[in-house]
Amino acid sequence: MPTSGSSSAAAVWAILRKECVSEWRTRYGLNAALLFAVTSLAGVSFAVGRLSDRVDVLAALLWVVLLFASLASLSHAFVREVEGHTLTMLRLVASPTAIALGKLLFNIVFLAVIEIVTVPLFVVLMGAPAIGGGFVLLLALGSVALACAATLVGAVIAQTRGRGALFAGVSLPLLLPVLAAAVSGTRAQWMGGSIAPDAKLLGAYAALLFAASLLLYDHLWED
Amino acid sequence: MIARVLLLLWIGGWIVAGFLWAPLVPVLGETTRVLYFHIPAAWVTVLALGWSMLHSILYLKRRDMDHDHQAAAAAEIGILFCVAATISGSIWAKAMWGSYWNWDPRETSIFFLLLTYAAYLALRAAIDPGERRARLSAIYSAIAFVSVPFLIFVVPRIYFSLHPDPIINPRGKLDMDPKIRTVFYAMLIGFTGLFFWIQSLRVRIARLEQVRDTAAGGML
Repeated sequence: MPTSGSSSAAAVWAILRKECVSEWRTRYGLNAALLFAVTSLAGVSFAVGRLSDRVDVLAALLWVVLLFASLASLSHAFVREVEGHTLTMLRLVASPTAIALGKLLFNIVFLAVIEIVTVPLFVVLMGAPAIGGGFVLLLALGSVALACAATLVGAVIAQTRGRGALFAGVSLPLLLPVLAAAVSGTRAQWMGGSIAPDAKLLGAYAALLFAASLLLYDHLWED
Repeated sequence: MIARVLLLLWIGGWIVAGFLWAPLVPVLGETTRVLYFHIPAAWVTVLALGWSMLHSILYLKRRDMDHDHQAAAAAEIGILFCVAATISGSIWAKAMWGSYWNWDPRETSIFFLLLTYAAYLALRAAIDPGERRARLSAIYSAIAFVSVPFLIFVVPRIYFSLHPDPIINPRGKLDMDPKIRTVFYAMLIGFTGLFFWIQSLRVRIARLEQVRDTAAGGML
């Protein structure tokens, strides 16, 4: 059994660094996710054309693209360990909570990279309003909530027979509140309303998901 | 045995009462009687989900396979009643509002519950029976427990409701005809009894399956 000391900040940091290094070595997860995000963005763009006068629709489309990109890529962090038969080794050196927290941070960084590419592209291609501070706040809160849900579900899914195939369907019920609140907030921001209620909802949901995850990480691997 | 016969007589009797004894609500007309099936089915949907999640959390705490049987059985029955509530509601919506589906907040919530149940059962189907399946599905159930209340807050911000029905809303309930109210509450009790009866059967089957699988495993 790993000692409790290995779940310290140092262990989490080591896992995060290991994730970043191994991702950077091949970059296939990142490439696939970016390609997917840009493809779905192009798909949306071709399907509806330029909609700069319908910001309410644009807000929804942006979050659908981000949701799909995260559904397509966030299970990767754990599935890769299982497919490479490296999870056992990882479990020997760190506690489940440290592993999961490291992967969570990695997923947040991963989502941030995808968003840095996708969101400006979306603004340019779809003619969405310029990005403001409130929007960045929503994006950050939404990403943390997405990453929390996706990390826990990804860890569960990696131990099943379906793996990647199940991930989207199983995480969707957890991601729908994020989608709903983020779309509603982005819409309010772009139409000149207040984002406060939706930002609070997103923040509270992210915090609750994170707290519940912390309680559940310990149960992830026992056999 | 006696309990089962009583349950049959109770539900059967109140169905007959719903048709012959309770009056019709003017606006709803003949569709008034959907009330006696639709809302109890929706209630059992929520009850079963709560039951399933409670036992999932208890499983994580106590590691007793019986909690896993309870959680799985409740989810299976829950999705059955969820489909029943969705279909009966959809037909009622067509009759009253002119379309089968409007993404009304309650329709959205029940659709969300269907997705949650389906995801839980899909997850279980992808893992071999045993401790791992119990543990992983309990983890999923526990995290889904966090998301359910949020949807109740978020959904009304996105969709407007057609549901403020004079019969159903909490204020309106007081105005409900006493006879209709009696049948309605009796059916709620009946459906709750039905749920716990099917639940006990399903849990017994799960226990027997576990005994069988352990025995088969011992022979190999």
